[in-house]
Amino acid sequence: MWRLKKPFAIYIFLLLLLVPVNAFAEEFRVESGRSIQSAVEDAGNGDTILVSPGVYKENVMIDKEITIKGEEGAIIDGGGKGNVIIVTASNVVLEGLTIQNGGTGQEDSGIFIKKAHHNVIKNNTLKNVQNGIYIANSNENKLLGNRIASNESHFSERGNGIHMFKGEGHLLKENEIAKVQDGIYFDFTKGIKLQGNHISESRYGMHFMFSEGILAERNHVEKNVTGLMVMDSARIDFIENKVTDHFHFRGYGILIYETKEVLVEGNEILRNSTGLSLEYGVDTLINRNQIAANQVGLEFMGKNENNTFSKNNFIGNVVQSKISGEDMRLDDGVKGNYWDDYSSFDLSGDGVGEEAYKAGSLYDRLLRKQPYWQFFFESPSIKLWTKAEALFPSFGSADVYDARPLIEPVIMLQETEQLSKDRGIPGIIGILFILFSILVIVKGRKLR
Amino acid sequence: MIKKLGVLLIMSAAVISGCNNSTMEPEEINPEIDVCEVCNMGLAHEHYATEVVTADGEVYKFDDIGCMDEFMEMEAHLKEENASKKYVRDVDTGEWVELEEAFHAYHPDFWTPMANGVVSFKDKESAENYVNEQGMGEVLDYESLENHEWSWEQ
Repeated sequence: MWRLKKPFAIYIFLLLLLVPVNAFAEEFRVESGRSIQSAVEDAGNGDTILVSPGVYKENVMIDKEITIKGEEGAIIDGGGKGNVIIVTASNVVLEGLTIQNGGTGQEDSGIFIKKAHHNVIKNNTLKNVQNGIYIANSNENKLLGNRIASNESHFSERGNGIHMFKGEGHLLKENEIAKVQDGIYFDFTKGIKLQGNHISESRYGMHFMFSEGILAERNHVEKNVTGLMVMDSARIDFIENKVTDHFHFRGYGILIYETKEVLVEGNEILRNSTGLSLEYGVDTLINRNQIAANQVGLEFMGKNENNTFSKNNFIGNVVQSKISGEDMRLDDGVKGNYWDDYSSFDLSGDGVGEEAYKAGSLYDRLLRKQPYWQFFFESPSIKLWTKAEALFPSFGSADVYDARPLIEPVIMLQETEQLSKDRGIPGIIGILFILFSILVIVKGRKLR
Repeated sequence: MIKKLGVLLIMSAAVISGCNNSTMEPEEINPEIDVCEVCNMGLAHEHYATEVVTADGEVYKFDDIGCMDEFMEMEAHLKEENASKKYVRDVDTGEWVELEEAFHAYHPDFWTPMANGVVSFKDKESAENYVNEQGMGEVLDYESLENHEWSWEQ
């Protein structure tokens, strides 16, 4: 019995500790037509301000540890100048507000968080603002479920959805970002976690500059110019993201430039101008990705060192790989990747082809120097050339190869269940059909 | 008839010379398609963009003056006199200025697309104004920029 009592006693004790703080915590309500700023001035640390529906035309400065909750239809309108809300205090909660019409200066934002920590920005709608949320020199803020759009101009005139400048430990979860310059911009940041964000119709989905230690999982970036742009950064993990439909003239699914220790695992990289591009990438690990239906599946430029590829599926890319630069091996020594244009055999039956898969034909390399030769793509002469190259592999002297190419595509975990379920139904229909046919034949014979 | 032919001839001559860019003038930036020659980044912040125009009429575009410098290191033959012209833009107006004539404000904390911290201006006065406004940094002319150590060199 005392076992139960003890934690309870501790709980009571903790509650008592909290009482002196909470005893003075108040809840204000701001009615339409009044000012939120003056409510903030009247409030003390720990207070909550409830905002009634209505349009509040003001710029709000928050320098206390308070919570501001908007009821549905509570709109703060910055009137086209400066930041709509500036937060300079820690432990602030902003929830359920619609924030609109900020200034158009380079750093003007819907919400600007300046040297403030442990704030929670949750379920807000930001629209017609230069930058959505700007976090400078701050740590451990949480941005959850916000919807962000910039203004209606060209992306070169807009700001970023979420811009983080110097700081660490933020969590960005399930934000919905569209029509900004760069969806999420990392500028000298570290230790950040991103989960389930959706970014579309912008220049870059996520843009990493001089940042390190970032985990991005189960995000979806689509229909931007480039999905994930990683430059001069380190220790970036991309796990189970969807990177789709980047069909811009200069678009990439994932572009990794001068970056080390990148992990790309279990992602779907589908329908992009170039699926995955590496330029001066070091120590990257690229595992179990679906790289399919891109115009160019894989691209290497310049020098890339110590990169490991294994168990990726390269399926239905118009050009499987485009290579210029240094030699490279595309398998981890045990298992390589599945290439749907691989044409050798598996004689030993271990699921690995007996001959190495050579990436990048001579034609691909010519394309780098003479882009206009694209005109001859799929022409009989180029086909003949490529075939000749495949028959006499030394001819092209491509030095990027997969020594352990897989014969069957790797089946990713999520899909196996669905496949086995779906397979049953056609089987049953087939059996019924055969039975019916036999019946018809037997009946027919009897009638004769 | 001959007159008409003459006009046609002049027009076609103008068209051909227009393609050639023999004057080595800078070219307008199109943020929709132009990317930096060095780092592949789209030129969204147009006023920070720079260009190298060669005597052959080739135009190379960069998102940041630092990238242009890196490019010039790689393409040594463009360093010869008259082989190329280098342009930067006045960050306030977007006006093209030849690198030799431009002034720059430098501080490692000044924002530029590739974080080189060098912001360019058409004259010394604007550069000084910028440094005063920001409350930090220094003004560089062409010569001191030549001796400047870029972040990519470190």
